[in-house]
Amino acid sequence: MALVVAGLNHRNAPIALREQLAVEEDKLRELIRDVQATGVTTETVLLSTCNRVEVYAVADAPGEARAAVFRRLCQHRGVDPASLEPIVYTHVDEEAIRHTFRVAASLDSMMVGEPQILGQVKDAFALAQACETVGPTLHTLFSQAFAVAKRVRTDTDIARHAVSVSFAAVGLAKKIFAGLTGRAVLLVGAGKMSELAAKHLVDQGAFPIYVANRTWSRAQEMARALAGTAVPFAELDTALGSVDIVVTSTGAPEPVIGRELVQRVMHDRRGRPLFFIDIAVPRDVEESVETLDDVYCYDIDDLKQVVDANMRERAREAQRAEALVEREVQKFTARLRDVEVVPTIVSLRERLESIRLAELKRALARVPAATAETRDAMDALSSAIVNKILHAPVTKLRESGRAGAGRSWTTLVQELFGLGRKA
Amino acid sequence: MLPVLANLTLICYACATGLALAYLVQREEIVHRLAGLATMAGWVIHSIALVVLVVESGRPPFGSLAEAVSMAVWVVVLLEMLVERQYQIPALGAFVMPVALVLSLKSSAARPATLQQLGEAFRGAWVWVHIALAMVGIAAFVLNFAGALMYLLQERQLKAKRPGAFYYRLPDLQTLDRLTYRTLALGFPFLTTGLILGAVWARSTWSAVLTLDPLASLSSLAWAIYAATLAGRAVAGLHGRRAAYFAVFGFTMLVLTLGAGLFLPGRHGS
Repeated sequence: MALVVAGLNHRNAPIALREQLAVEEDKLRELIRDVQATGVTTETVLLSTCNRVEVYAVADAPGEARAAVFRRLCQHRGVDPASLEPIVYTHVDEEAIRHTFRVAASLDSMMVGEPQILGQVKDAFALAQACETVGPTLHTLFSQAFAVAKRVRTDTDIARHAVSVSFAAVGLAKKIFAGLTGRAVLLVGAGKMSELAAKHLVDQGAFPIYVANRTWSRAQEMARALAGTAVPFAELDTALGSVDIVVTSTGAPEPVIGRELVQRVMHDRRGRPLFFIDIAVPRDVEESVETLDDVYCYDIDDLKQVVDANMRERAREAQRAEALVEREVQKFTARLRDVEVVPTIVSLRERLESIRLAELKRALARVPAATAETRDAMDALSSAIVNKILHAPVTKLRESGRAGAGRSWTTLVQELFGLGRKA
Repeated sequence: MLPVLANLTLICYACATGLALAYLVQREEIVHRLAGLATMAGWVIHSIALVVLVVESGRPPFGSLAEAVSMAVWVVVLLEMLVERQYQIPALGAFVMPVALVLSLKSSAARPATLQQLGEAFRGAWVWVHIALAMVGIAAFVLNFAGALMYLLQERQLKAKRPGAFYYRLPDLQTLDRLTYRTLALGFPFLTTGLILGAVWARSTWSAVLTLDPLASLSSLAWAIYAATLAGRAVAGLHGRRAAYFAVFGFTMLVLTLGAGLFLPGRHGS
């Protein structure tokens, strides 16, 4: 029995092909049962997202399993199997474990660290469980993969720093303010991008939201969408005094927020910082505003710079995550190998112990006059002999298990000692 | 026994400093945990050393300026551990422990004098209260300094718009400003009462308020800086970067004060 992962992903398969192969949930159920019914795999999980189509399975012959799955998938989706042949990768045992862990931890994603993939893997696993195609091996594998993914998220900052402009703005706000709960936000101009940024801020607890726009109806519309309040454009000055974060995105050719205005506003704020997120081009906030104390002003280029820095930070964290995953892979592989030989060792011990006890009983029956000391000595003698005999084969089994050759040795030991085929 | 404990404490603080600084660069969670462990171990050994000192000498554990500084370090490390948890600033150790280490390098490992050997200046309880209060005040100002330093670094990163290592590792500006304000508000009353007691004590013992003692005169300067900062913060809206500069300035004066006390002859010298 071997662990197999076979599939294709965003790295080697073009989007057109991935689109064709992506399977919706109902079909996935059907497919997973079909595959299991062939008997090629004993355990099966199918993962189908927009970036990857993969089968996780336990099978005797990895090649056959892969062929069986993708033949059926191609039939379902009307794709020529020959076109997949050069693209589909196959990972076996340790490689398969590594792949599973990396996928769940979002190290194999298009956007490394983005967390959706873990949810998708969990869904795929739950679906397979519902179809009753998950056995002990895949169960351990996926449980461990989820645990590893969680550790990667908690022990590294892989998903901490945003890689989109609007999220980067939220990250910046969090470095200026002690929490965003209850921070008032003013939107100047009602663009799509500022709405997105505002939504992220609201998600973090920002409240209330004010919207100022030259077109009153548009301001009202957007205020409704964000559960905020529309403010007349003429009252911008007053609004500036009471908010913490300002998102500007007007189409005005000249800056709408000048240095003098901000200076006046800051005077009454008693040191409360003011954060401008200026995503308009040309810019809405005068450049010299940023030299004022407690004023932080980021234009679209600045935000992109922050995103770049975040990406670099993420890449660094991804390296740490890879190291962590590698350690977990080694641990898990060792555990699987131990699992392979342990049942044989146990039954071997039980076998010899039962022989010893039976023989001891017979021997003692023949010398009824034996003293307690003699009985103890015979017991100790027989135990010692059994242990000495067991020592070499047990050590050998453990070693072979660790070296990955457990299967052939367990078979041999089972044959030699006439053990039941338990492992 | 005491020199051994003092050295162990020093080794722990040195390890904690190294690990805390490494955490700034590496940001491995395990490094942070080890730094915390070294800090805690150092503090516990330090506490034992203080108890042993009290038992052996039969007096409070600050009979010389060097001992008093060691006492202040003990408070600093305690505050560091508390503030780090309370404010969720894992990088705090990197800013506090180096100061604690440098200060504890000066605390002497020599055999402590007994009460009888200390001389007439130490007769009476007020002098001990003077020392204790001043040291707690100084400890709070070490945290004040660390908070101000972190504020200045984070503010610079945010203004420069090029996020570097500190941007990711340090907390937000408001938290740092609050920490700086609170440590100032905590340290100031201690320092003030400590200094007043010192002056009153000096007057009753030597019939003079120690105007020519280097430590006494420098410490009144440091006190004046902190007083101005606190007043500015409370009524004039002083905050953020400027307040942080004041904190750094005040702490520099405080370090000079202690340096003067340790190295120049005077009433505080040993």
